[in-house]
Amino acid sequence: MNILETRSLSHDFGGLQVLKDVNLQVLAGERHAIIGPNGAGKTTLFNTITGTYTPSQGSVYFKGRNITGAGPCKIQRLGMGRSFQITSTFDRLTAFQNIRLAVLSQKGIRFNLLRFVDKMDTVTRDTEEILKRINLFEDRLTLAGNLSYGKHRSLEISMSLATNPDLVMLDEPTAGMSVDETHYAVELIRRLTEGKTVVIIEHDMDVVFSLADRITVLHHGTILATGTPDQIQQNEQVQSAYLGEMED
Amino acid sequence: MNNKSRWALWIAGAVALFLYPRLFGIYYANIFVTFAIYALYAVSLNLLLGYTGLLSFGHAMYFGTGAYGTALALTHIKGLPLVPALLAGFFAAFFLAICVAPLVVRVGGNAFAMMHLAFGQLMFVLALKLRHITGGEDGVGGFPIPPLSIPGLFSLDMGDPILFYYFAVAVIAASLWLLWFFTKTPFGQIMVAVRDNTKRVDYLGFRVPHTKAVVYVIAGAFAGMAGAVYALFQNLVAAYDAYGILTSFVPVMMTMVGGIGQFFGPICGAGIFGVLDELTTRYTDRVELVLGLVLVLVIMYAPYGFTGFLTYLRMRWSASRAQRSPA
Repeated sequence: MNILETRSLSHDFGGLQVLKDVNLQVLAGERHAIIGPNGAGKTTLFNTITGTYTPSQGSVYFKGRNITGAGPCKIQRLGMGRSFQITSTFDRLTAFQNIRLAVLSQKGIRFNLLRFVDKMDTVTRDTEEILKRINLFEDRLTLAGNLSYGKHRSLEISMSLATNPDLVMLDEPTAGMSVDETHYAVELIRRLTEGKTVVIIEHDMDVVFSLADRITVLHHGTILATGTPDQIQQNEQVQSAYLGEMED
Repeated sequence: MNNKSRWALWIAGAVALFLYPRLFGIYYANIFVTFAIYALYAVSLNLLLGYTGLLSFGHAMYFGTGAYGTALALTHIKGLPLVPALLAGFFAAFFLAICVAPLVVRVGGNAFAMMHLAFGQLMFVLALKLRHITGGEDGVGGFPIPPLSIPGLFSLDMGDPILFYYFAVAVIAASLWLLWFFTKTPFGQIMVAVRDNTKRVDYLGFRVPHTKAVVYVIAGAFAGMAGAVYALFQNLVAAYDAYGILTSFVPVMMTMVGGIGQFFGPICGAGIFGVLDELTTRYTDRVELVLGLVLVLVIMYAPYGFTGFLTYLRMRWSASRAQRSPA
């Protein structure tokens, strides 16, 4: 069953066609990677799906519902979380407070003006549990902006996951990480997304081939191919357009 | 600090507030009431500016509406008791904030600041021109100040400056406690998150405009509360003092001098302004010049204000202590 589907999705920025007739299908429970050279439209695809932009044409279906043109907040509440290519956390709040915000959202605590948030024991417990799972418990009182790059990225990814979404959209989660950090992040993603559907944009081919069940290749705003890692590796079109370029 | 010493501190503070007018007399009691009114007013602004990241150049419209609300209610309703009169000001500002909120919550930054400059000035001009209601430049004054009473139990004459001091301090302390409490609730966390990264709040599933609207209405209503106490204190509300542009800028300056985004920052700022004002008027009447100079110095050398500077000193101190005695 498709949890996410785009139907002839197109988007242009003032005449510059970035996405052309994209028909993406993501199966429930799979880890789906989107790869493609710089400027292929990967992040724009993410932005039109998660509500940053309203697509110029076409539609987006999530869990069978048409969500075309809905805002980020509404889409999130339907069960789609996302992380950002450029780390986006609450930098003047502590790691603990960052995760706690996600936990509050997950529990639907939004306009509560009647209780001390520090005294909400289940919220605190859940937050600490998440922090332990991502090895940030020691750093829980550090401001997010002062965390090391790798930890900051982990925090960002975990925030997207802490709201317990059915589908997680990760935009280059390992961007800018060292080899060790990337290794760790991949394990973290694998561990935290157990049983969830993941769509991931990634440049690192090792990450893609070790993590993804299926891969979609985007090139000049259109889908070149979709298939298992093996199928993609053997696809001649993909090789000439993308993998070939990489080996130069 | 453990619970016991915290309680001791609170009790000491309450005793000091109780003894203060008896020790220093009516003149200083009145100065303290003025300080307390501005402290509440500045804290309500800091909820927008420091916590949610919204700079308003027109917060006086809520202060002034609160003041006019109470003054007009007492002028036109015969025998209105004290607490309903106070609430008249509070709710006047509250309803004005509810009406304005939908217009301003979808913008931020400069647009928010400029829209408030415009709205604030609009209210000022209305107060000047609608003379038959507001009395224009002369304002509304000489209205009866009812006693604080429970029929059959007690009645405290609010014309007595010392008794009024107790009443004003109690109302303002309760309001400040409520606002402090709001910043500690889950909603208070979301408010700070909006300041830090609005986009992320949206992607976490919180509605940003609704969140801003709630903060906005709370900030407006409590500015109105400060205005209501001001009306009772002065027994005169006029356009320049209630809605004037300076009345909008003063809490912004107090918040910056005291420490932006810290709950006690604006209170310190109001205190610093009060003391400076009192000291400079003894030597010169160019009070604004001195206050302006202080603001410039703070922005240049202590951008996080007085409380930020204290935090910095404390960190330096504990760092140097750690250096001297390595554990």
